[in-house]
Amino acid sequence: MDLNQLIGRATGLAGEAGAALLRQVQHVRLPGAGQASATDDPEVAARRWRVVTVLREPADVDAALPAPLTALGDRIEVRTTRAPGDRGTELAARFRGTPTEHEVGELRAALREAKALLEVGEVLRVDPQPHGERAATPQGAALEGAAKAAPREGVL
Amino acid sequence: MRAVTWQGVNEVGVETVPDPTILNDHDVVLRVTRTTTCGSDLHLIGGYIPAMRTGDVIGHEFLGEVVEVGPGVRDRRVGDRVVVNSFVACGHCWYCRQELYSLCDNGNPDPGITEGLWGQSPGGCFGYSHAMGGFAGSHAEYVRVPYADVGTFVVPDEVSDDRALFASDAVSTGWMGADLAGTKPGDTVAVWGAGGVGQMAARAAMLLGAEQVHVIDRLPERLEQVRRHVGAEVIDYSTTDVMAELRERTGGRGPDVCIEAVGMEAHSTGVQGVYDQVKQQLRLQTDRPSAVREAILACRKGGSVFVLGVFAGPVDKFPLGAAMNKGLTLRGAQVHGQRYTPRILEHMARGELVTEHLATHVMPLEDAARGYRMFKDKEDGCVRAVFLPHG
Ligand SMILES: NC(=O)c1ccc[n+]([C@@H]2O[C@H](COP(=O)([O-])OP(=O)(O)OC[C@H]3O[C@@H](n4cnc5c(N)ncnc54)[C@H](O)[C@@H]3O)[C@@H](O)[C@H]2O)c1
Ligand SMILES: [Zn+2]
Ligand SMILES: [Zn+2]
Repeated sequence: MDLNQLIGRATGLAGEAGAALLRQVQHVRLPGAGQASATDDPEVAARRWRVVTVLREPADVDAALPAPLTALGDRIEVRTTRAPGDRGTELAARFRGTPTEHEVGELRAALREAKALLEVGEVLRVDPQPHGERAATPQGAALEGAAKAAPREGVL
Repeated sequence: MRAVTWQGVNEVGVETVPDPTILNDHDVVLRVTRTTTCGSDLHLIGGYIPAMRTGDVIGHEFLGEVVEVGPGVRDRRVGDRVVVNSFVACGHCWYCRQELYSLCDNGNPDPGITEGLWGQSPGGCFGYSHAMGGFAGSHAEYVRVPYADVGTFVVPDEVSDDRALFASDAVSTGWMGADLAGTKPGDTVAVWGAGGVGQMAARAAMLLGAEQVHVIDRLPERLEQVRRHVGAEVIDYSTTDVMAELRERTGGRGPDVCIEAVGMEAHSTGVQGVYDQVKQQLRLQTDRPSAVREAILACRKGGSVFVLGVFAGPVDKFPLGAAMNKGLTLRGAQVHGQRYTPRILEHMARGELVTEHLATHVMPLEDAARGYRMFKDKEDGCVRAVFLPHG
């Protein structure tokens, strides 16, 4: 199935289905499209380190781990490594046990927010945005579900 | 406020929507004085870019006056007349430090969608779908601009609104193509597409020292603009064999640099055109890449091809063998506008870069649907429709 058909299917489904499909798309191996850990078995995938590279010195990152990560407390382990070539610090985290998909999503969002806080000092917000009338269609609802889930999704 | 919204495939309209507000400390709110149509909007309006929601405010090429300043903004004041880059970039991440601003790690709050499609997420863009961040666009009376110290530029007094407007997207995109394709003094450059972007790529190539610049299109009024305002040579592909013509004009070598400024809805003649159109309609390929194919085949051995036109997904009949065996450098990007805007404004102030002719149709915001129709159909020689949200 090609990319557009998949997106077509995603936007043809209602409500939570948008988020679910976005998740699914990322686990399908498609020639020419990106994918997450598509060949890992789900347990291995869930236990992987999730890593962002932050343009800050390792000492700065260790000294002030941002709140979105510390909020996950003992449930996660965190590791920092100097990134090669002056790229800053690799900030990695994973759950101690085998997390649910929802928890992995929480961790992705926390890592992205932590990176933004360390690099910029704020997390970019997009809600609310001015918009006109939204037609109450299943496609629209699916897209809103997908957009809402997007900070927690992706290949991270 | 009044704003132009996407209301479904090939439908735009003007609606009353809530005013924007400061959401982050580094935001400003602008009173939009000029905002214009871009070829990228056509892909979006035509339904080729996924993740548009009815009611989304569109527009990403604009200029305005700062009316509200977030507490974290350092260098902008209420009353500043600024032009804004179409991509949202933080200025602090590794990509921004490399001046690859449209790749900013912190510019798209919804990276999950594009990471899934492309393996990595580029930055966000104003008014360009929920895949590109979900930011409200600029075709409105007011717009919120995040990371204002990075993405807004004060326009020098000598540069008029009409000229500065296009530094936002068309000129910076064209400049980026010419620059990152590696245009050097003495080069021969060919540009596919004589829209705002292609014309400005040609002009930038000349300012970077290219000795010969050829622009390819089929629309006579655009080719005439290229001759008159850009000062480049033209080729009408509807009446001329582009490959043969370029070979003849370049001593058989082919251009050193080929810049594609057409995008995923490229028009083409003959069997290839029908093939691509049918496959795109059937959703068997997302994009029609005929100008990219031609650029790769026309380029000299060891030359450089830059894709400025927007593409979204896989394409078909991509001449990879030609690219590999001819040792080409193939590159593309969304616009790194923040990198080029300061020097563009200087060239504009010195009169070396004129853009006013692109604004073929200037109209109130309320007429946006008409403006887009004209721009889409290239009616009455429309190159860019410019909207005036405050009259
Ligand atoms: N990379 C970026 O950041 C960026 C920024 C702005 C625009 N763009 C893209 O650049 C492209 C051009 O934008 P624009 O605003 O100039 O659009 P436009 O629609 O005004 O111009 C496109 C031109 O291409 C011509 N054309 C169509 N098929 C052709 C072919 N096969 N060969 C030669 N010319 C052909 C058309 O006649 C038209 O004049 C679009 O794809 C747009 O999405 C990219
Ligand atoms: Zn654009
Ligand atoms: Zn950045």
